[in-house]
Amino acid sequence: MIGRFRKMLGLLKPEFYHQTSDHLNPYFTFPDYRKIWGIGIFVLAAAALLPLMVVTLIYYQLIQKSVDSELILRTERVASNARRAVTFFLEERLDALRFTVNEIKYDQLTNPTHFAEILRNLKLGFGGLTDLSVIDHTGIQVAYAGPFKMEGKDYSKQAWFIECQKSNFYVSEIFRGYRDLPHIIITVKSFRRDGTHFILRATLETERLIHTLASYETGEHADIILVSRAGIIQTPSKYYGDIFEKMALPMPQYSPRTQTVMATDGQGRSIITGYAFISTQIAETPFILLVIKQKAGMMGVWLELRSKINWLVGFGIMVIIVVITITCTLMVNKLYLADKAKTEAMTVMEQSNQLASIGQLAAGVAHEINNPLALINETAGYVKDLFVIKEQYSKDDELLENIDYILEAVERCGTITRQLLGFARKFDVKIQRANLKEVISDVLVFYNKEAEYRNVNVFVDISKDIPEIETDRGKLQQVLLNLVSNAFQAVNNGCNLDIIASPDGANKVSITISDNGCGMPEENLTKIFEPFFTTKERGKGTGLGLTITYGLVKKLHGNISVKSRENEGTTFVITLPIHIQEEMRKDENSFGG
Amino acid sequence: MKILLVDDEKKFAMMLSKRLALRGIEVDYVYTGEEAVAKVESNKYDVAILDVKMPGIGGIELEKKLKALVPGMKSIFLTGHGSEADFTAGSAKAAYYLAKPLQIEELIEILHEVTE
Repeated sequence: MIGRFRKMLGLLKPEFYHQTSDHLNPYFTFPDYRKIWGIGIFVLAAAALLPLMVVTLIYYQLIQKSVDSELILRTERVASNARRAVTFFLEERLDALRFTVNEIKYDQLTNPTHFAEILRNLKLGFGGLTDLSVIDHTGIQVAYAGPFKMEGKDYSKQAWFIECQKSNFYVSEIFRGYRDLPHIIITVKSFRRDGTHFILRATLETERLIHTLASYETGEHADIILVSRAGIIQTPSKYYGDIFEKMALPMPQYSPRTQTVMATDGQGRSIITGYAFISTQIAETPFILLVIKQKAGMMGVWLELRSKINWLVGFGIMVIIVVITITCTLMVNKLYLADKAKTEAMTVMEQSNQLASIGQLAAGVAHEINNPLALINETAGYVKDLFVIKEQYSKDDELLENIDYILEAVERCGTITRQLLGFARKFDVKIQRANLKEVISDVLVFYNKEAEYRNVNVFVDISKDIPEIETDRGKLQQVLLNLVSNAFQAVNNGCNLDIIASPDGANKVSITISDNGCGMPEENLTKIFEPFFTTKERGKGTGLGLTITYGLVKKLHGNISVKSRENEGTTFVITLPIHIQEEMRKDENSFGG
Repeated sequence: MKILLVDDEKKFAMMLSKRLALRGIEVDYVYTGEEAVAKVESNKYDVAILDVKMPGIGGIELEKKLKALVPGMKSIFLTGHGSEADFTAGSAKAAYYLAKPLQIEELIEILHEVTE
């Protein structure tokens, strides 16, 4: 549980984010992993989200278009149906008047009783008529049937009278007139035998027309009205003004068919307007039918759907970003760890290459120095011989002492050159089976006395399941001897020295030699395997002990590493293969090929 | 005991033979393998001290030649390389060796060991 939690925490705080291995930085393939991470997330997110957003936008456009065309279609259909109804309403009544004029003689029409009878029949047959009157060609009303007292009225100055004389049939706008009630006048012109004409006029109630229109209304956001060609509102409107007022919207251009236009109204609302110029078969009318629908109101369902899609797309984007971020973090972290491992391996390799080339150079120098050193040695030796053996010259103790200094110095140089040569030389490894317990106790025999004398606690822990290993026993002994000797030099009296051996995986064993002695500063750690690096006094150490140890461990196909803290102690860890021959074969294959 | 010293380092050969002579050992010294072969053909020696690395015939090859000429003759090698690792070929494996710079006492000891 805790492990899983830590792993989650690790995802939030990936290792590369706190790149700390400053000393390795120059070796990294990519210098800035945070930047790669950022760019990676950005590019992936762009690649994943851009198509999604484009598709969503295209989808919106398509939906918008189809919704628009659906709205237009519906509006047009309503307008067309309403137009047919209004046209039929007027046409029916005009036809009735025409029938009356054609069928009934002028004398009978002007007979008040008969005329009232005709009105009653028309009301019964068609309805929607208020009154009926006959007007002669001078504009005088000669007969009237209806609820008002209108006989004898002179209409010669009225606009509708002037208009209706121009053609055989006439339909007026809705107006108030003498009776102060909204009504429509329809007239039919007919000729008498004497050549003069008269007009049969009917007044239509508007309620019926308004009801007819209202039955086509679709929903709250739609308005269906009649306006005159001059733009005066003829029937009640919900949104665009009162009756007999000027219409707030601009009038559409004339068209014989039903049309639909999209526009914006005075309040900035997007509207769809279906319109039709009403005309009957026998007469033009002054009416324009308008069906006005507010888009926002009509698109409620679609807007709701769009909001759902928006939520869905938003959630999708969130999920994509989260997945991309996690994937990117994991991958960049893996890349970083691989790069780090590579860098560390390269650093180690570089170090060992450096050591090998230093070793070769040192060996070359040592070999060249050996010959003149041998000559110095023999010459100084001969001078000494001259005094000591031949007694050719009087014996001078001071001179002899100085010659001994030369010989001592030569011997010291000889030791160094021999060690250097030993480090660089390729020698055969004599492989045999070795029991680590035995090897370690053989080495410790040399230090039993010193440990006892200095009260150093030597603790040896050899794991029971450790197998025998194939190795060069002599070389391993030398390695352990060097490390134990170093440890003894590092610890004070009464300190501890631990030697622990345990299996390391299936094919390796590791030997740890740690002391709680003086330790060393970090800057020395990287140099301790270099030849001639020593912290001991001049003349006390050659600086070759650990170099040789390093070389020997490498010869045994092993690894050696060191950890140390000043005043806390030092730990050397050697890992060795259990089957050295397999390692050697691998080497041969990789080099021999 | 009569010894042949072969070393291309002329001054070294001279000084070492002087020191051995001071210790009562009879030494001839030459600087090349060819000279050594000529010397052995005309003289009798108990032991040859050979430098391993010489121009022309090297110490190891020379030892084989000398052994062929005088089967009983012993050889001691001198090397600037420091230790036994140079001695990997043929009969030389069993031979004695000394690393330069050498301790005269050690050489005398080996000489006695060889001739015993």
